[in-house]
Amino acid sequence: MSVFDEELHKLKDKLLKMGALVEDAIRNSIHALVKRDNELAGRVIETDRIINMLDVEIDEDSIRLIALKQPMAVDLRFITTAMKITTDLERMGDLAVNIAERAIELNEEPILKPYIDIPKMRELAQGMTRDALDAFVRKDKKLAMDVIMRDDEVDDLKHEVLRELAFFMAQDPTTVSRAMKISFVTQYLERIADHATNIAEMVIYLAEGKMIRHAVPHHEA
Amino acid sequence: MADNIEIEVKDLDFHYAGNVHALKKINLPIHKNMVTSLIGPSGCGKTTLLRCFNRMHDLYPGNIYKGDILFQGENILSNSSDLIALRSRIGMVFQKPTPFPMSIFDNIAYGLKLKGVSKKAALAEQVERALVHSVLWDEVKDKLNASAYELSGGQQQRLVIARALAVDPQVLLFDEPTSALDPISTAKIEELTAVLKKDVTIVIVTHNMQQAARISDWTGFMMLGELIEFDMTQKIFTAPSEKLTEDYVTGRFG
Repeated sequence: MSVFDEELHKLKDKLLKMGALVEDAIRNSIHALVKRDNELAGRVIETDRIINMLDVEIDEDSIRLIALKQPMAVDLRFITTAMKITTDLERMGDLAVNIAERAIELNEEPILKPYIDIPKMRELAQGMTRDALDAFVRKDKKLAMDVIMRDDEVDDLKHEVLRELAFFMAQDPTTVSRAMKISFVTQYLERIADHATNIAEMVIYLAEGKMIRHAVPHHEA
Repeated sequence: MADNIEIEVKDLDFHYAGNVHALKKINLPIHKNMVTSLIGPSGCGKTTLLRCFNRMHDLYPGNIYKGDILFQGENILSNSSDLIALRSRIGMVFQKPTPFPMSIFDNIAYGLKLKGVSKKAALAEQVERALVHSVLWDEVKDKLNASAYELSGGQQQRLVIARALAVDPQVLLFDEPTSALDPISTAKIEELTAVLKKDVTIVIVTHNMQQAARISDWTGFMMLGELIEFDMTQKIFTAPSEKLTEDYVTGRFG
């Protein structure tokens, strides 16, 4: 393996490490909410510092490789994709922190209702994140397309939760503060899924050299 | 032939004397007022192809061309081509600067005199215009009678470009024009190509892939006498279609 290939390999490893931390953060933030676990929520907030650090490192490594190795073609696409993916992952980490913060606030009040759709959303969003990163590693266009298509399911679930919450709030004004916080959580999850979709779109660029952002079939409708 | 095509190469085969098959079925367009670069490993045929465009190979006996090279619609490979006229319409700049052993002024006036320009005022005017065009004028206007050898390598190269420009060519062929120059002179020549392409079509052979990426609009990648891929430069260096091109531009060749 050439020195440059080794550097690319290291960059990929760093990105996957960051991805794994983000996946954990998504899972733990919702667990903290569902299981009313403040300590776990605190850990999510704590871990975000490492995610942010990796974001900066990956950007610096990428800029250095572009300047010193003058990568072309697939290497150039790989490095620019890494730089974009890291931005999405960093935002996902922040959203997990937002969920953890809402969880801590919600844990101070009695439970509004059992969480059913939110864990489903979490599972979907987290699965999309994992698959988007897998697709990145394998330059797997098919898996990336699959991730993009799954975004609609998350959106549908969000609308369902929001409808339900609106009903609670209309029935009993004392639920408004809690219902609002829960509705924020669904928005955060929905945005996490959007970032996973962004990553999948970049994977298609990596694999094919084609930019499909803002023009994917289901967005055209 | 479309208006925006200056030169069209059709099924070009070239054999050097002694039967080395140097170019195999080459087809490509050279777009008007654009920079086209030819890249590829040593011995791939890129310089051989460049030298076909003004029939430089005819300087040695026994070389054989097959196919067509249409320049403004006319086949320059036909026997009736006037090679002297052709080479003033399609000029060439080499790797090492090749000033004539005479003054800066005379280097440029030489070609003009051959073309029949004899009036002093006309010569002076056209020499100045060529030097301005090659962005050398400000550096030499006070020493036009000095020997061309007093200039730096980069200045000599721009002098040679001015000499080619003086006779109003439509195409300039650059054969690794900066490989003997320092980075600053290289940058000046590269900047110059962007200015010159408003008036002439440029074809450049370069070993420096980054240079091809920086200055050209179209790029052809060649290997073992074949044109593997020809596309817009942006496409070649970000997402080439051929595996061989990808291996070459990413440095994973062989």
